[in-house]
Amino acid sequence: MGTYILRRLVLMIPVAFLVTVIVFTLVRLTPGDPVLTYAGEERDPATLDELRREYGLDQPLPVQYVSWITHALRGDLGRSLRTRQPVTEAIVERLPATLQLGLTALAISVTIGVLVGTLSALHRNSPLDLLATGFTLAGVSLPNFFLGLILILVFSLAWRFLPPGGYTALTSDPLDNLEHLILPAITLATASLAVNMRQVRSSLLEVLSQEYMRTARAKGLRERVLVVRHAMKNALIPVVTIVGLQVGAIIEGAVITEQIFFWPGVGKLVVDSIAGRDYPVVQGVVMLSAFSFMLATLVVDVLYGVLDPRISYSRKSS
Amino acid sequence: MTRSVRTLAGIAVVALILGACAGGGPPGGGATQAPAAAAKPTYGGSIVFALEDDPIDFDPLRSRAFIDRNVHYQIYDSLVRIDETGKIIPWLAEKWDTSADGKTVTFTLRTDVKYHDGTAFDAASVKWNIDRYRTAQGSARSGELAPVESVTAVDPATVRFNLKTPFSPLLSLLVDRAGMMVSQKAAEAGGADFTRKAFKAGTGPFILTEAVKDDHITLEKNLDSWGKDKDGNKLPFLDKITIKPIRSSDVRFTNVRTGDAHVANNIAGKDIPTARAESGLTYQEKPAYSFRSLIPNRAKGFVFEDARNVRAVSMAIDRKELLEKGYFNLGVAGYGTIAPNHFAFDANFKPFEKPDVDGAKKLVAEVGKGPLKFQLLISSGDPVTLQIAQLIQAQLKKADITVDIQQLEFAQILDQQSKKTFKDMSFVGWSGRVDPDGNTYDHIYSARPFNDSSYSNKDVDRLLDEQRATSDQEKRKTALRAAEKIYVQDDPARVWLGHGAAQLLTVKKVNAPPVYPDQIVRFQFMSMPK
Repeated sequence: MGTYILRRLVLMIPVAFLVTVIVFTLVRLTPGDPVLTYAGEERDPATLDELRREYGLDQPLPVQYVSWITHALRGDLGRSLRTRQPVTEAIVERLPATLQLGLTALAISVTIGVLVGTLSALHRNSPLDLLATGFTLAGVSLPNFFLGLILILVFSLAWRFLPPGGYTALTSDPLDNLEHLILPAITLATASLAVNMRQVRSSLLEVLSQEYMRTARAKGLRERVLVVRHAMKNALIPVVTIVGLQVGAIIEGAVITEQIFFWPGVGKLVVDSIAGRDYPVVQGVVMLSAFSFMLATLVVDVLYGVLDPRISYSRKSS
Repeated sequence: MTRSVRTLAGIAVVALILGACAGGGPPGGGATQAPAAAAKPTYGGSIVFALEDDPIDFDPLRSRAFIDRNVHYQIYDSLVRIDETGKIIPWLAEKWDTSADGKTVTFTLRTDVKYHDGTAFDAASVKWNIDRYRTAQGSARSGELAPVESVTAVDPATVRFNLKTPFSPLLSLLVDRAGMMVSQKAAEAGGADFTRKAFKAGTGPFILTEAVKDDHITLEKNLDSWGKDKDGNKLPFLDKITIKPIRSSDVRFTNVRTGDAHVANNIAGKDIPTARAESGLTYQEKPAYSFRSLIPNRAKGFVFEDARNVRAVSMAIDRKELLEKGYFNLGVAGYGTIAPNHFAFDANFKPFEKPDVDGAKKLVAEVGKGPLKFQLLISSGDPVTLQIAQLIQAQLKKADITVDIQQLEFAQILDQQSKKTFKDMSFVGWSGRVDPDGNTYDHIYSARPFNDSSYSNKDVDRLLDEQRATSDQEKRKTALRAAEKIYVQDDPARVWLGHGAAQLLTVKKVNAPPVYPDQIVRFQFMSMPK
């Protein structure tokens, strides 16, 4: 197992390198000039040129890339073109908000998804199953920018129940933080909840129809043991894949939700930075997001082995 | 990205509808004027200022965003300032004297001023600041100060600006960031982080003590401030200002209504009737220096190369209706770059006061290239701008002019504008400057940085140079007015729609200072009786 993980980590290096090249090129292909956007009403050509020189944007692209990547390897992602804040600092400052929102939404979507998905698979075509399937369809179909607005309309403006947006740090006022967290967390959780629920239901149904389940039942195993010990373990493999990808996507997954609810996380940072063509910040966030994705897939692969002993990564057994 | 932009637009639309529904508040004081300041203002108190965005650069050297000035004016003093009518008044400089040839300006400085970090403010400090603005890397002030050849510290209280050519708008530039004085010690100690953490760096009434990005900024009273009000009371009155960036105008307005914030200076047009009606609020407004304009691309080969087409658009637009329905009566209708609070303003200059549909049709026919059809570029994600563009579209339709509205990200519009590759017209405003020259020269003069319409007219260039060279206000006015007639009417550089408004919304318990045409709140004159 250890060598497998090590090998995977080594393989990440070329992927990461490729990601840096793509990110670096893509942000620069977007029409718009960072210096011009930042300059706003102070567009004196002499000043613009000077800014370009200061930021090294007058250098040929390969030179800019090498300079960026060598600094990045030493842990220095550069400074924001707009605010002069070091990129690492800007991300670290906003990471807690994003992680809190993403993890809460994930917790909601996984617990409810597994629970309701299992129940609706066991009681196929029951009213609960129909309700859950209906919700799944609605959850997947409703874009979260729309759902977010509806929630604000109902809970914030009509009922004045919860704040329409904003953020208070958990450390400064936990209760206020929770109040602000509820609506965005529900918004973010809904789509993935629907996917998870559906996945649990269909893969559990498939496993339940397997012959070994009939055998287990025939030898007189209690239904609960049957479902939890035998069915669930096998049915969870595709679910783990999906949830794993959802974990990896936490960083960029909340981009839209953070915008709607003025949640000052990484998603909001990257949107503001794209609008301002703040190359270093966009590059930094995309890199972080790519790494979290790569790590998540690695964890998923390792978990396969835990869930299903037949899957083994050591060379000896294959 | 597109999705999120649409999302924002969606929210704004919903908010707009809701706001409109909530508009009919209780009829109340409807105050438009600030209550007369109490004779004995109270000292102390702490207020929250809801600002429409997060300031970027605290260092005036780097500052490019209009929003930054809301902080600068509290922590720094400039050599001169304006009063609430726009007149330039002594500030750090007690008086000044321009030489007969207009090439040197000598300032006599106050001698009782210290920076927040304890260092002395004197002529050497002025020289250091101006030299820094002129030459430091990344300076956004070097263009403004380009006419300055050198600065001489004559003695500790006297400083002389030596100019390359006579340059009458100099004082108006020293009102703002180019004239703001920063402590050399603080700036040098701050290094690359100074613009984010300009703590104890100015001489102003308040001291920047804390700045948390996208969250809040804390300003605390400068106990050694030199300022006094006209009754001789020591300024400032308030102990503390907390600035909170709140981007949504609905949330900003709600915060002031609920008392979570006490001051805001950017209120959406649709909310103004409520702001005026609500008894717990005081709302003030006056025309600002800003202007709203449509920028035609007048370069060769484009539809608007022919001045008659620009003129036809200008004639067909109903500015009164636009102001009422598009801007909710916020601001005033206008025709050129010179705003009502500028010395060179002429209230009788109303070339397109009433829409002239037939005249516009006739002009287009005269051009003889068939019906006029053009693309109007607007910034995406802003429903109010879209509504205004649609209103323009409907108005021009009456003159058989077809407008095709194109929404594009602001960064891309800027790019196309500066490269002069945008197809027909773009819709971008200007925040305004104290002197009409700052609203005009760089926008109209051939090949200047904001001349996005590629406009070039020899007579206009000559007149604009003329008004820069003389310090005689009347002569300047004559030249500016003559130029405006040409670039608005005879050979239009743009289609101007009007001027924006300077606003100040405060909760009743705050004694609000008057509103200034530069839209910046003067917190040192504000007090809060207990």
